[in-house]
Amino acid sequence: MKLSIRGAGPSLHLRVPQSSSRRPSLLLFFPNIESAVRVLSGAKGTAVPIPLDAGVLKTLAFFRRASNRATELLRAADTPAAIRARLLLAATLYGLEAIAGESYLERRMQIIPDGVVGVRAGEIAYRAAKEGRTIHVDRAVPAEADGVVSAVNSPRPDAVLSFAHYQSAIDVLSGKRQAVVALGSGEVRIGGLLPLVQGLFAVLDRLSWYMGVEV
Amino acid sequence: MSDISGEESGAAGGISGRGADTQDSRFAASMAYFERAAKVIPGGIYGSKSPGFLVPGHFPYYLSRARGSRIYDADGNEFIDYLCGYGSQIVGYGNPAVDGPALEQARKGDLLNQPHPVMVELAERLVGLVNDMDWAVFVKNGTDATTLATSIARADTRKQVIISAEGAYHGAANWCSTNVFPVFMQAEQRDVRFFPYNDIQALEALFAANRGNIACIILTPYHHPTYKPQQLPTPEFLTAVERLCRAESAYFIMDDIRANFRLDVHGSHTFFGAHPDLITMGKALANGYPISVLLGTDGLRKTASSFFITGTYWMSAVPMIAAMATLDEMERMGGTAQLARHGRMLKDGLESLGREAGFRARVSGPLAIPYMTFDEDPDLYLNQRFCAAMADRGVFMHPHHNWFISLAHTEEDIARTLEAARSAFEELRLFSSSERF
Ligand SMILES: Cc1ncc(COP(=O)(O)O)c(C=O)c1O
Repeated sequence: MKLSIRGAGPSLHLRVPQSSSRRPSLLLFFPNIESAVRVLSGAKGTAVPIPLDAGVLKTLAFFRRASNRATELLRAADTPAAIRARLLLAATLYGLEAIAGESYLERRMQIIPDGVVGVRAGEIAYRAAKEGRTIHVDRAVPAEADGVVSAVNSPRPDAVLSFAHYQSAIDVLSGKRQAVVALGSGEVRIGGLLPLVQGLFAVLDRLSWYMGVEV
Repeated sequence: MSDISGEESGAAGGISGRGADTQDSRFAASMAYFERAAKVIPGGIYGSKSPGFLVPGHFPYYLSRARGSRIYDADGNEFIDYLCGYGSQIVGYGNPAVDGPALEQARKGDLLNQPHPVMVELAERLVGLVNDMDWAVFVKNGTDATTLATSIARADTRKQVIISAEGAYHGAANWCSTNVFPVFMQAEQRDVRFFPYNDIQALEALFAANRGNIACIILTPYHHPTYKPQQLPTPEFLTAVERLCRAESAYFIMDDIRANFRLDVHGSHTFFGAHPDLITMGKALANGYPISVLLGTDGLRKTASSFFITGTYWMSAVPMIAAMATLDEMERMGGTAQLARHGRMLKDGLESLGREAGFRARVSGPLAIPYMTFDEDPDLYLNQRFCAAMADRGVFMHPHHNWFISLAHTEEDIARTLEAARSAFEELRLFSSSERF
């Protein structure tokens, strides 16, 4: 499906699992940013579904369920740490991708060296590539028996950021624990090109200011 | 809460040669203080001393005492130290030749209403010692000196732009720090421009683009960025800097804070044949006692006199007494010749041990202020592993910041360091062949 917000830059494509078609079957159009924020954070708001192809109902139903479920899981007290960490990590990294080009961050992005950061919390692994004023995030898909580790490491990232426990990822990503403190206490480990990964911490600060994630 | 399975030092994880438990018990007191600190101090330990700048788990966070070339952490672990209080130790920690007169003055009175007469003696001594300089102003931190230098240059030229090398460090004030928040970018940082060190063409282009607006260029005597090999200036580069400054009527500030008295007792500009208008010094000036100095040429005396220069602690007597004693002791202990001799032993030893183990380890920078990187690994994973392994063996070498030799380092210290390096390189070799990053 395709998500588009009026007056808010390029639209976003979302691939629904098991969908075979390469073309979007549904355009979800938000008349303004406020309604997009409301709908995407699980509240009531206006979204106009525009069918584009077959399978539109299935796609819409999936989207409704998935977006509600994500916020539910983040809010519920008994959500397993692994799932909460997965959601927060995805929100954070794709959030970085979304705000990297912001003018507020221009100078910061200039002084962060280009390169790839491997990010890991348990089974969850991503690669975030910083180039110029953009950040591109990829999920590292398990490639072989030892899974994530080899996927996140090949080719070797310029820097690595790993969380000792899922709970460490949750604490840091939700702003409960300062990243620099978590580094000192060993809950977060970094290695390789430090200015790259530490520079992204600074971008993260800006992101949490926007998202104000409460978990 | 789920543990990350069996990945203590994880392939994608940070750096580790030993288990976390071993490290935690070795640094139990450091860690306990850090946890307490995190509750009452932003970041626990802030700035360049933040644990994340080292290799957590392998380096102590808190130090309790030091003597000569050795430091002792809050857990009682001993290290041969190659950071020297970020360069401030030149005649050794706790050197009685410095501490004796300093402590005696502390008993008599340190911070008085008016300056102690030693201020005159120290100014005379520095003006006589440091080539081409005619006056001295004493401050506390290096940042005070660099900020004053650029301010005086701006006031004198009535121009705004400051030129600086990319990656150079001149202090933590808003105009020069890495706190690149837009609110500072629109104010203090707005007129600071950068060029790649030693790149004459880029510098010429920058001067051309800002013609008529440049107050000064501020350079360290050689380029000592963190995370990177150190770069010495080419003679053509320094000539070009001076030519461009003359043509623009801009001042040349040499920020000698990190290197002062390790290369040439007459100032690092003498070592490299440069002719700055203003020079800042700090760190080794008083062997760790808090004092920095701005030195200047006659042409800027009038502007400097018209400045309101003050700070509650800027004229305290003890650091000035310590500076006088440090200058004497430096010469007595062998001065720059000895620093270079020991630096040479360390550099040659490390590079050859590295080669034997199959690495392209390269020690860059002046002999007395070396830094080792691995040509095959600009991402510094090997640096981090190596320095962690050295710390495990009782040698404090910073993985990301240049090192310092002091006059308290003995040949025996260097020999013990190289012994530790031999086994650290071996550990590195085993790690490199067995472990993926
Ligand atoms: C070259 C240089 N300039 C300025 C400074 C700032 O000195 P301080 O930390 O005393 O303010 C430093 C400190 O590391 C330095 O190395």
